[in-house]
Amino acid sequence: MWRYTLKRMLVAVPMLLGISLLTFVLMRVTPGNYLDTIRMDPQFSKETIRHYEQLYQLDKPLAQQYIRWIYNLLHFELGYSFHYNVPVHKIIGERVWNTFVLSLSAFLFTWCIAIPLGIGAALNRNRPVDRAVQFFSYIALSFPGFFLAMIFLFWASQTGILPLGGMHSPDYDRLGMGGKIVDLLKHLVIPTRALSVGSIAALQRLMRGNMLEVLGQRYILTARAKGLPEGRVVYHHALRNAVNPLITLLGYEFSSLLSGAALIEIICSWPGLGSLMLTAVRSKDVYLVMASMLMGSILFMVGNLLADIALAKVDPRIRYD
Amino acid sequence: MVLATTSDPRSFNDILAKETSTSLVTDLIFEGLTTTNASTTKVEPNLAKSWDISEDGLTWTFHLREDARWNDGQPFTADDVVFTFNGLIYNPDIPSSARDIFTVDGKTFQVEKMDDYTVRFTLPVKFAPFLRGMSQAILPQHKLQKAVREGRFNFTWGIDADPAEIVGTGPFKLVRYDPGQRLVFERNPYYWKKSFDGDPLPYLERIIYLIVPGVDVGLLKFMEGTLDGYTLRGMDYPLVKPLEAKNNFTVYDLGPDTGSQFLFFNQNSGRNPQTGQPFVAPYKLAWFTDLEFRKAVAHAVDKEKIIEIVDNKLGYPQHSAMGPAAGFFYNPHVAEYDYDLNKARAILAAAGFSDRNGDGFIEDPRGNTVEFSLYTNAGTTERVDIAAIIREDLERLGMKVHFQALEFNTLVSKLTSRFDWEAVILGLTGGIEPHFGKNVWMSSGQLHMWYPMQEKPATAWEKRVDEIFDQGVQELDENKRKELYDEYQLIVSRELPLIYTVLGARLYAVRNKFGNLKPTNYGGVFHNPEELYMKEGYR
Amino acid sequence: MIERARHLSEFQIALRNFRKNRLAVVCVYVLSVLYGGALVAGFLSPYLFKNEDRNYSYAPPTPVKIFTEGQLTRPYVPAMELTFNEYNARVYKIDLVKKYPVRFLVKGDEYRLLGIFPCRYHLFGVEAPGRFYLLGADARGRDIFSRLLYGGQVSLSIGLIGVLISFMIGLLIGGISGYYGGRLDDILMRLCEMVMMVPGFYLLLALRAAVPDSFNSVQVYFAIIIILSFMGWAGLARIIRGMCLSLREREYVLAARGFGLSDFKIVVSHILPHTLSYSIFAVMLSIPGYILGESGLSLIGLGIQDPYASWGNMLSDAMSIVRIKFAPWILWPAFFIFLTVVCFNVIGDALRDCLDPMLKAEGEAQ
Repeated sequence: MWRYTLKRMLVAVPMLLGISLLTFVLMRVTPGNYLDTIRMDPQFSKETIRHYEQLYQLDKPLAQQYIRWIYNLLHFELGYSFHYNVPVHKIIGERVWNTFVLSLSAFLFTWCIAIPLGIGAALNRNRPVDRAVQFFSYIALSFPGFFLAMIFLFWASQTGILPLGGMHSPDYDRLGMGGKIVDLLKHLVIPTRALSVGSIAALQRLMRGNMLEVLGQRYILTARAKGLPEGRVVYHHALRNAVNPLITLLGYEFSSLLSGAALIEIICSWPGLGSLMLTAVRSKDVYLVMASMLMGSILFMVGNLLADIALAKVDPRIRYD
Repeated sequence: MVLATTSDPRSFNDILAKETSTSLVTDLIFEGLTTTNASTTKVEPNLAKSWDISEDGLTWTFHLREDARWNDGQPFTADDVVFTFNGLIYNPDIPSSARDIFTVDGKTFQVEKMDDYTVRFTLPVKFAPFLRGMSQAILPQHKLQKAVREGRFNFTWGIDADPAEIVGTGPFKLVRYDPGQRLVFERNPYYWKKSFDGDPLPYLERIIYLIVPGVDVGLLKFMEGTLDGYTLRGMDYPLVKPLEAKNNFTVYDLGPDTGSQFLFFNQNSGRNPQTGQPFVAPYKLAWFTDLEFRKAVAHAVDKEKIIEIVDNKLGYPQHSAMGPAAGFFYNPHVAEYDYDLNKARAILAAAGFSDRNGDGFIEDPRGNTVEFSLYTNAGTTERVDIAAIIREDLERLGMKVHFQALEFNTLVSKLTSRFDWEAVILGLTGGIEPHFGKNVWMSSGQLHMWYPMQEKPATAWEKRVDEIFDQGVQELDENKRKELYDEYQLIVSRELPLIYTVLGARLYAVRNKFGNLKPTNYGGVFHNPEELYMKEGYR
Repeated sequence: MIERARHLSEFQIALRNFRKNRLAVVCVYVLSVLYGGALVAGFLSPYLFKNEDRNYSYAPPTPVKIFTEGQLTRPYVPAMELTFNEYNARVYKIDLVKKYPVRFLVKGDEYRLLGIFPCRYHLFGVEAPGRFYLLGADARGRDIFSRLLYGGQVSLSIGLIGVLISFMIGLLIGGISGYYGGRLDDILMRLCEMVMMVPGFYLLLALRAAVPDSFNSVQVYFAIIIILSFMGWAGLARIIRGMCLSLREREYVLAARGFGLSDFKIVVSHILPHTLSYSIFAVMLSIPGYILGESGLSLIGLGIQDPYASWGNMLSDAMSIVRIKFAPWILWPAFFIFLTVVCFNVIGDALRDCLDPMLKAEGEAQ
């Protein structure tokens, strides 16, 4: 197990390098750089802009810039954000946390709803319950998340129960501990729902499929034949084997949440990594983008690795060496 | 008071960053020696009580307020002013746009402390916008000197700074910043200004700015009651206005906006130094430099319908280089081009453009089809709409126009360094001081976008505009200055380097909670935050 | 040859199973109508996609009248006039005195039928000063119904062409990877993971920024397809690789190798055809991703450019609460995106149900 983990981590290094190189190349070979934003300001002279160029080392050859970034990375420095004029890690720390909170909430919500839904649908295959669940899944899968976010916001504005966008109320800093948590949870409702509706539908379908597959296996037949109560057959024998394959999805789930969150974060004004990265990509704040991509990829890899290890733990048939 | 802004500040350092999201913050915290009166747009004393000017107009002596204090309690003195100029703005290691404003003909101003409350500025030449420029924020020497000495200033007061370290003389101080969420300001207990009755200002205890990137979310938050004020777009008006009485707020229409939006063609006759290729194909350059061609295009801008469609009829056609919001320097008597496609067709036909081969598109006298690409920046729906409307009209004239919305940075790099574009629709912010637009109008300016950074003016009229700006900056008589700048606006309207479109209306919706609200076109609704107070029953 | 015959009959069984799923069959019909409509968009739509009349900004759906003073007459549309009320909201006054009869096969804007034959006849419409907006008008008075048809050409084809490209790449990479295995498989799979690992939306943005801006609309359209398929191939490649891994150990493949067939030939003629039937549902299920991807790009203004229509850029016009409030009919593209995606999902599921042997086995067990 340890050897396996170590091996996976070693493989991760060239992949992360590959991702950072890909990001860097894409950001830098395309026309325009960060300073273009201030070039358009009537109050900046050529000299000032040249000064900035030197400050951010944009006048150096591309290869040198990239190698420098990698060199700094080895010293745990993620580089400098042009736009905010501070080291990247100072900006993304809080953003990563906010996105993590949102993703975690969406993730929990998804799994808590989708798994029982999938089991229920599988056990009632082709009955009205199943039909209704499948019908709503199709609907849920067929709208872009950003569109749902807007519709939810509109709905919230009509009813006035839920806060409209943002992460906290304006007077958040004056609330007590309990008030803060309630406030955060209230703000989480809309983005969480917008983000998880699609994945609930997708996961529910997978769960249903897996469950049906497992229920068709011979050992379930055997268990039933032995006269075990149906509840025990389903929840003890079938469920575990049906859930296992889904665990491998955990890692991918996070990556897709991160990327799906961008537009939803913007529409719901959620202060997360997604919205930060979108502006960074658009304004060519290279190092901020690279650091965020790297963070996203690392989260993804760790998630994947944990999922694989968890799978090996729960499923005795799987063994790594 | 809870307000909204669309993006995070870039910095709290007024020297390093100047764009809107930053100045929103710094304007509450810092002050300059002078300020511009929001109603009269005249320059008024602020941190300076008064000033004297020498006979030759080159030496200005400012007498500072003795009762002003920094918000950490330290007294404000002449040292701070001298430090701000000599230690920061003129410091070669600090990139600052302020240096460009306070440098005339490559020479800087001499700033000297006479005594603790007197500062003398000696100018190399006469500089008309000097007093207005003195609204430059003054920063505290006692907080920043160490950072400058250690070479850390460029990284000081960034968005990661402790709010308590950010010290200014203004009415409010920053107490909290949550990135992507909110900025919290509290009243500065040491603020010098007193009300008419002698009460200490400011009245408001707290101002909170929520960072709301989504325009629609902001609007919903205002309607719901979280926000106390909100900047409306023309299209929001029909939704918000009917609710005024019921929801207890007021919508203020403060007249035309200061920014401008325009269409322009590439008139750059230069060549790419690497490849030797011309930036613009020579036959296309011939159209773009042809005044008749540009006039025809100007007649094809359907300003009235743009205002109807984009701004719900809440907008103004723009004809002059300085908008009506510029006040004193605005010249309303310039050449105007009405929307008339037949007139445009006649002008084109007279200039030799007509559809000779019957393919539905016009050709120039040498038989080249008039075809070009039109860019604008993605992200601002209003501008994309304007571009789409203009594109349609140009096509009705028989021009083949390829429209594309580009990322802002991509577009700007084309305009300022690669020069490989043909037609662009863009906007610029404007102000009341014409000289601050010199980078756009002088032929050597880098924002002289249709042909930037010319070594010498390409046309006679550009030469004349250069002269006007050179004279105008040295002319201290306001009326004579106005004559000069009137002439430049007239020239621009005749020569059409930029073909102006429309100005939106400045619309604000404000909850009826506040006293002393004095909305003006120049300053907007909240230009006097220190005087605002919560009315009885809202506290 | 015998092998092939059996394969076909398996396909026929699958087809029969598919027909039993009534919902899926309905979806096939719906998609056929949508694709058919897009194909002859020019004929079905009363106006060209860029035909605008600024006097009809956000005009509501035109009422079609069949009664004149209680008498049944031939259907006509009344004239409409735009005014602004005291709150600057658009109000359309209906003028019943001016009537424009609805006609069939009217002459109007010139278009190319099926992209080839120039033609001026439209299925229906009204005569010139009148405007007929079946589903309302957009900001500049363009007919939403017409634009939906033209937009369908873009949005529906993006999915098909995009999936075709990424499927080709997926087949190639997945096939090679699964057949050869070993070090090559390792490297190729890490490459796939790398593409899947980068948060897709940002990759999309960065790639979009790399498209030269001198491209005209058609080139931009293909660039967007290529970008979207660049993101989509990795998932398909992994599925196909998995199948190849198991297929290469099958007897007939071992036999083919025994006969001394070249690797290329084995992969192309014995392995890939088998993956095809199993991956067809994966393809169906991935088409919606392209349609939604284009709408995401359009939302930030980098999709198909005006005046050309796509459901994505029409939807992004509608992404404003104020506009929806006053002109709810601009939400039509959302409905069509929804309809298409639902259909592809239902068909994909149905295909899986009748192709997947595991599920079949399960059906017997119950």
